[in-house]
Order: sequence, then structure tokens, then C-alpha cells
Amino acid sequence: MTGVSSTEPAKPGGYEVLSLDDLDRVPYRGSGEVLRPLRRQLGFRPFGVNVWSADAAGDKLIPPHEEDSGHEQLYVVVRGTARFTLGEETFDAPAGTLVHAPAGTFRAATAAEPATMVLAAGGKAGEAFVASDWEAVHIAFAQLDAGDAAAGRATMEETLAHTEESWGRHYNVACYLALAGEHDAAFEQLRTAIELDRDKVMTWLPEDSDLDPLRDDPRFQELAG
Amino acid sequence: MSVTHVDQLDSIEMPDGFVWRPIRRHFDIRGFGVNAYTALEVGGMIVEEHAEGTEGDLGHEEIYLVLRGRARFTVDGNDHELAAGQLVFVRNALLRRGAVALEEDTVVLALGGKPGEPHKVSAWEAMFGAVPAAREENWTEAIRIHAEALEEQPEHPALLYNLACMEARGGRHLDALLHLQRAVELDPKWADYARKDSDFAAIMSEPGFPA
Repeated sequence: MTGVSSTEPAKPGGYEVLSLDDLDRVPYRGSGEVLRPLRRQLGFRPFGVNVWSADAAGDKLIPPHEEDSGHEQLYVVVRGTARFTLGEETFDAPAGTLVHAPAGTFRAATAAEPATMVLAAGGKAGEAFVASDWEAVHIAFAQLDAGDAAAGRATMEETLAHTEESWGRHYNVACYLALAGEHDAAFEQLRTAIELDRDKVMTWLPEDSDLDPLRDDPRFQELAG
Repeated sequence: MSVTHVDQLDSIEMPDGFVWRPIRRHFDIRGFGVNAYTALEVGGMIVEEHAEGTEGDLGHEEIYLVLRGRARFTVDGNDHELAAGQLVFVRNALLRRGAVALEEDTVVLALGGKPGEPHKVSAWEAMFGAVPAAREENWTEAIRIHAEALEEQPEHPALLYNLACMEARGGRHLDALLHLQRAVELDPKWADYARKDSDFAAIMSEPGFPA
């Protein structure tokens, strides 16, 4: 897959037609919602737009979060019925419902009907959109879980193409490489993350099971110490 | 209010026959562009035929998702029949695109913005939003809607031109002349439009009207 940010050139071709049902299904790491990565598959650059789907009533649909990116978001129920929690209010939203969540507002949803699908659009007022890493991270781990470590590594490494350095970016890549069995490369990324912000890395590193494959290596003790 | 249904949105019938259902305006969304469209009848226009940019001024990338019903899109001269859950993504802003509804109660969701730039509220939203007031010849309200949009984009030629139209119709002739002159200073093409525009009938013979 190709990484996309607002600074990258558009994909070739003037237009395309697709069905939301044809989008990839990416299990959201750690909580099990199903991300359908619309923005990446289209190469859409102006702002964030993705789809979440659930097959059965009661399934998780939108991960609980507060959008600390500063993005305001609009959720559009495309199909089925979603049970939203917005702030402290919980309500059922049938197809055609529009839910607006300002940045910082808690939001989550489960499916109240089988085959529910919600489109989520988001952007930050006054700022040009730059794709963050979260889509690539979840896709890369899904590719690894599906047995395609090479594709996962390629997706993960897209995040390193960003010009702005981030400890978290290198830390996430280290986690991926640790689980993929590429320990030398994982240590290299972990070392870079520590150089960028040792305190932040140390808040995660002691308990992070992603790094378990590295813990018996003397290099881990050296870095953690 | 943070929650609504697409059927509860304002329903603004446009002169070309399609119906604008303003979503961005409803929630005052500032981070991106999003609206819905419906048609007056099966076979009627649901997305007006248009392009999103011109050579040298590349505009929005746009996604059109059929939320309900069916629609026939024509993009760059090619027809595509889309059912609910299908979309067309128009990457090239220069391509002309439009759609007609093929079923009752068809709804199209449109999402768009300009890559690499903070979202700006499109000037056409004020022009569309003023249509009901203009239809009722409520020029005070039509002028207010345009003036409010102009506060955010004071040098937008099309907004200035349309404001001048409303002012000319509303009897505010000096304001109309000043705003029309400014539109023409920013983009001389508006002088040609003005000379053929019946909205300016009352001020065409005034000194200062673009010759």
C-alpha cells in the first residue's frame, strides 16, 4: 500500500468508482473493531475519512476515544444502526444519522443491527491535513497477524518517511519489528526512540508485551537501564 | 445539537432543480467540507454538473457517496450507475461531474477539500444559502448572508459580485456599484457577466458601472 499525506502527489488517474463493501477489512489492534481504510485506498488527501463496519449486532464498531489530535469529526451511519456514546449520552442512530463530535469529546459505538457501517470524516480547523501514523500502524500489524510480514514491514516503514521526527513513530516500528522477529532492526529503532525522548519511551517500555521478544537480549537491559 | 438525520437537514431547492442539504453549515464544521444532496424527482438532477477547479487554480478532491437509493453519475463524459454504499472519488478537480437520481429518496453525500491547505468554507455556500431569501425578494436577508460570508473571505470576487446583485435588487445602488467594482478589479471577467445580468438593470446607466 502507498502512504498518503497532503504533501504527496496525487495518485494517477482522474477518478474512480468503488463500493464500501470492497474496502479492506483491518482488525483494529487490541480492541477488535473493523477499520475499512477508505482514505488510504483512495489516496484522498484533503482530510481524514474512513469507514468502520460490524457484522453482528453487539459487535464493537468505533473504538472508544476522545480524538486528542484536535480533529472535529462527523460520523455518518451508512447502513444498519449504530449505538453511539457521545460524551455521557448513549443513543441509537439508524442509517442516515449524522453525529458531530468536537475534538476532546468522548465517543464510541457498537452495532445495534447486523451489517452496520459508519463513515467517519475528520479534520482540524485552520490546519492543513497531514496523515498521521495510526492507519498504517494498524494495517501493518494486521498484515503481520495475517502472515505477511514483508507487507507489514513495508507499511510500517512508510511512517518513517515523515520529515518530522517522533519518538512514538520509531517506538511503534520497534514494536512491529520485535514481533516480526527482526530483533537487530528493532533495537535500532528503539535506540532512536530513546534518543528522541527517553522519558516517554520509559513510560511504555517496562509493561509493553510487544517488546517481550527482546527482553532476554542483553541489549534490552542496556537500553532500559 | 450534535446529532441529526439527513432527512431533518434544511432542504434548499436550487434554481437548477437539485436540493442542497447543508451538513457543514448545520454543525458549523470548520475542519472539512461535507454536504448532502437530494433530487426533486426521479430522473432529476442531484449533483449539479460542475468542475472543482480551473487550469492554474486546482481545487478540491471530492468523494460522492450514494447514501440511499441510486444515482447515475457522469464523470468526464462517462456514465456510472451507483447504488447505496457505492461512491465515486474525483481526484482531478478539472473533470466535470454531475448526477441524476434514479430512485425516490436518493441521497448523495459529498465530501471535499483542497489537499495541503486548511479548509476554507466555500463561497458558494453563502450563494446557495441566500437562494430562499432571494426567491422571496427578501434582499435584506440575502445581503446579510453574503456579507457574513464576505467577512471570512473579503476578497472573493464571486461573493462580491453576488452581494452586488442582491444590493442592486434591494435598492442599495451605491453599495452595489462599489462591490461590483471591487469584484471586477479582482477578476475582470465579472465585468462581462455584469453587462448581461438583469440583476443590475437599475444601476447599468450609473457612472462607474463596469463598461
